[in-house]
Amino acid sequence: MRVGRVRHETNVSALWKTQHHHTIRNDATMSSQRQRVNQGIDRLVRRLLVELPGEDPAATHEKQSNAAEFVREVLESSRGPAVVADVNQASDLIKKRLIQTNASPEKALRFTNLYSKLLSIPAINQKWAVLYFLYQLGYHQQKTPPILTSPFKSPVKNGRESRNLDYGLPKSPEYGSQRESQPFQEAFAPEGLKRLPTREGGQKDRKEEEQVFTKTPALQRESVALKTALLAENYVEIDPPETALLRDLPFTLQGLSSTHLPFSSNSSLKLPPTLPVPIISILHTLAEPSLLYRGLSTFVQSADGGLLGQSLRAAVAGELRSYLGLVATLEGQIRRALSALDEKEPRGGIGKAGVTLKRCVVWTREATMGLRLMSLISEESKSKRGGQLISLIHGFSSSHGDPMVGAFAERLLIHVTRPFYDMLRHWIYDGELSDPYHEFFVSEQDPNAIIDAQDGKNRGGASSVWEDKYKLNEDMVPSIITQDFAQKVFLIGKSLNFIRYGCGDSQWVEEYSKAASKELRYGDTATLETWIDEAYKTTMARLIHLMAEKFHLFEHLKALKNYILLGQGDFIALLMESLSSNLDRPAGAQYRHTLTAQLEHAIRGSNAQYDSPEVLRRLDARMLQLSHGDIGWDCFTLEYKIDAPVDVVVTEWGNRQYLKVFNFLWRIKRVEFALASTWRKCMTGARGVLQGEDKNVAQAWKLTRGVLAEMIHFIGQLQYYILFEVIESSWDELQTAIHKEGCTLDDLIKAHTKYLNAITHKGLLGAKKKYHGEVDENTFMVQLGEILRLMLSYRDAVDGLYSWAVSDFTRRQGAEARTEAQGRREDDDGMLINTPATTRRGPRHLHDSTPVDGSEDSIADEFPALQERLQALGGHFRSRVCLLLGDLAYQPDVDMRFLGVVMNFNDVYQPVRKQTRRPAGKESVKSSTRA
Amino acid sequence: MPPENPKQDKEIMAAQARQVIDVFHEISTLLNADLDRQTLSICISLIENGVNPEALATVVKELRKDAEETNREAMQQGNQRQREA
Repeated sequence: MRVGRVRHETNVSALWKTQHHHTIRNDATMSSQRQRVNQGIDRLVRRLLVELPGEDPAATHEKQSNAAEFVREVLESSRGPAVVADVNQASDLIKKRLIQTNASPEKALRFTNLYSKLLSIPAINQKWAVLYFLYQLGYHQQKTPPILTSPFKSPVKNGRESRNLDYGLPKSPEYGSQRESQPFQEAFAPEGLKRLPTREGGQKDRKEEEQVFTKTPALQRESVALKTALLAENYVEIDPPETALLRDLPFTLQGLSSTHLPFSSNSSLKLPPTLPVPIISILHTLAEPSLLYRGLSTFVQSADGGLLGQSLRAAVAGELRSYLGLVATLEGQIRRALSALDEKEPRGGIGKAGVTLKRCVVWTREATMGLRLMSLISEESKSKRGGQLISLIHGFSSSHGDPMVGAFAERLLIHVTRPFYDMLRHWIYDGELSDPYHEFFVSEQDPNAIIDAQDGKNRGGASSVWEDKYKLNEDMVPSIITQDFAQKVFLIGKSLNFIRYGCGDSQWVEEYSKAASKELRYGDTATLETWIDEAYKTTMARLIHLMAEKFHLFEHLKALKNYILLGQGDFIALLMESLSSNLDRPAGAQYRHTLTAQLEHAIRGSNAQYDSPEVLRRLDARMLQLSHGDIGWDCFTLEYKIDAPVDVVVTEWGNRQYLKVFNFLWRIKRVEFALASTWRKCMTGARGVLQGEDKNVAQAWKLTRGVLAEMIHFIGQLQYYILFEVIESSWDELQTAIHKEGCTLDDLIKAHTKYLNAITHKGLLGAKKKYHGEVDENTFMVQLGEILRLMLSYRDAVDGLYSWAVSDFTRRQGAEARTEAQGRREDDDGMLINTPATTRRGPRHLHDSTPVDGSEDSIADEFPALQERLQALGGHFRSRVCLLLGDLAYQPDVDMRFLGVVMNFNDVYQPVRKQTRRPAGKESVKSSTRA
Repeated sequence: MPPENPKQDKEIMAAQARQVIDVFHEISTLLNADLDRQTLSICISLIENGVNPEALATVVKELRKDAEETNREAMQQGNQRQREA
């Protein structure tokens, strides 16, 4: 026992006198200090010495006092510390130790924190001394493992140790001195590594490991130390040595060739063949980031790709910079470790240095993950552009299971989406598409492509600025934006562009963009959405305002209804009356100036004159394209001219629908007019010329009037139905639709299209029917055309009957007049010649009547033909109407069924349901196509 | 001066001392010095009273080694006794 060697003579007071830290002391304090020291020593000895069970208290006491004596002796013998009393130096020593013995700078950082805390506490004077004491004790712990492993020493060890010297590094003075190494330590120890974002997760793990480690009991620690020592014993020398590999590693990680690890090609690293397999596998792992870095750095330097591609490259370059930062830190660590290497230790002391190839693998692991992800992205980005690129990265950030990958992709996304948001901002605040590489999800259409597309869509006509100038590319919409949202964005930009170019209101757009423009960036989706909603509302409101106020859209719609859909009754009646005589002539004999003059007349003579000149200016009358044998009625049309911005709503297609409806209505109106004039003639004639004795003729007239009345009823019902049930109700719907709050131009266009469709469908112009799978288009159109044609022929027949009746009447009147005249002549004759009348009248009468008889015969011949014709036409008309009613009765549309009911309110017709029907005569087909 | 002030000072002093010991204890854990709080506070007070830290470290190490040896001997004796029994 060492305590036994303790000297018994102690000179404590001499000891305290020599101390130089407390210069001025009086006897009292000195004695109290001495007392305290003695007490402290006793307590220390008591704490540290183990009481053996079963030993008698006297022996214990003896041992303790011996120990205390020994302690006193030692303390007394060594006065003055070996190092200068400097707090900083003690802390430096500790820090250096911590950095050397620990893999991460975490502990050193913690120590720095503790140290600064310590300095701030004034309670203690001998801080440096305590630190030094702790340092010494800690050092003592470090030294233990070799002692413990000494029984396992292998005979190989000595020889190898001498060999190690050959590979040992010449210690450079630069890194050798502890003073100078300090800035290095501080540079990369606490903050330097912290800055590397990819490593955060790993550091946490390591910290936890440390905490576990510090908690383990000393016994366990010893066993770990034992293992380390064993490992060191059985270490096999490698060529080139690990230290050389470590020195080369930073270069390799930066993608540069080095002595031991040259890059044989762009994508392969040559490893020294002399290395054992485990080292090779470690180097394989380390080669991965190196090769990935090489690939990525070439990717970053390549210049192709659009704006988003370039921003992706910039983002990747940023990530690579931080990777290089990591490599630099690593290099610093490696250099420092190599410089501090103790060559006499096993494995060239590399186990103690804190930096090994394996450690490097662990340190670069997360960076490797990042590089791997980036190289994946860069590979995939070759075939993608614009929004697809964003979708790709967003896919990683949103649906990848690994939170680290997610966070990494998210960070990339912030940089990558910058040009996208720039474009978005331009688009939603300026209505300009600044997209030189076609990466945005809105694209400007090529005019030629539009024409091609329209052939397919069968929409025809000039291109519409609103519909066709820009197109939404569904597959370019990045997944950070929903489809709804994209639609909105598309509408905003389109509206702004339309306001600027279509409506010539660029001033407002500029003011708006100045007032509302905001910086958009990735991350804050909710704010972005509210901004876009705001922009959407403002833009749409402005557009509707412009349409209503500046371009009188609603007035135009009303005018179209009034004039083209015959809503303005007095105007149409006047127009028809004044044009009727003109239009009866062949189409070739119609002149535009007469038509416009009559139109003007009709406007002046009706309430239309109070309409705004803006509207009346657009009204025009013209002839459609002539075809042979047409009369004026077939070709005449009214036209309402719609110009630039409004034609977005009232499109070419819409115009044609309007014309179609107008032509149909105009024909009905014309038939009505014709029937009414014939009816009037008949009625007035019935009181005069048509009164005859012939029962046969009277019966014919009665029947004719009956059929005429039927026709007038039919026409009346049809007109009522179209004007009131169809047009007015659809108009009402249109009005509610376009005056709704928050109505957009698209809604307007849709509502208007719906309005026109409703009119053409319900107005019997476009109803499609299917029989046995065949599409029979415009059945109602054809049927109605036929019926109208029948009515006109019937009217012609009635006119024929009328003129026959008139001529019959004149003949009868002429006959009467002749008899009267003859009588008078006879009287005269009698008076003159004085012959008996009867004798003279007979032969004369016979003589005279010969031509009259001939004419009478011809008229009498004409009457049955006329009667027959009228009967045939009337019958034809009835059967047609029955067919039509049969069709109407089975319509899905309530309004159309209602029309059938109204027409046949007293069941006078028997509706016929026909299963198959072919289009009727050629003529009606022609008329329908013209319409 | 009222008598409360020294009392307060003492309290402050005690708190500071506790803090100092906390910090040192943590540092000793970092350095694997294997000291418990009481031993540490004894050592700190010794050093405060002018004991050479290097010598104290040696002493502590020596004492620990002794304790270890005693322990081992005790263990061996115990084992022998068990075998004898």
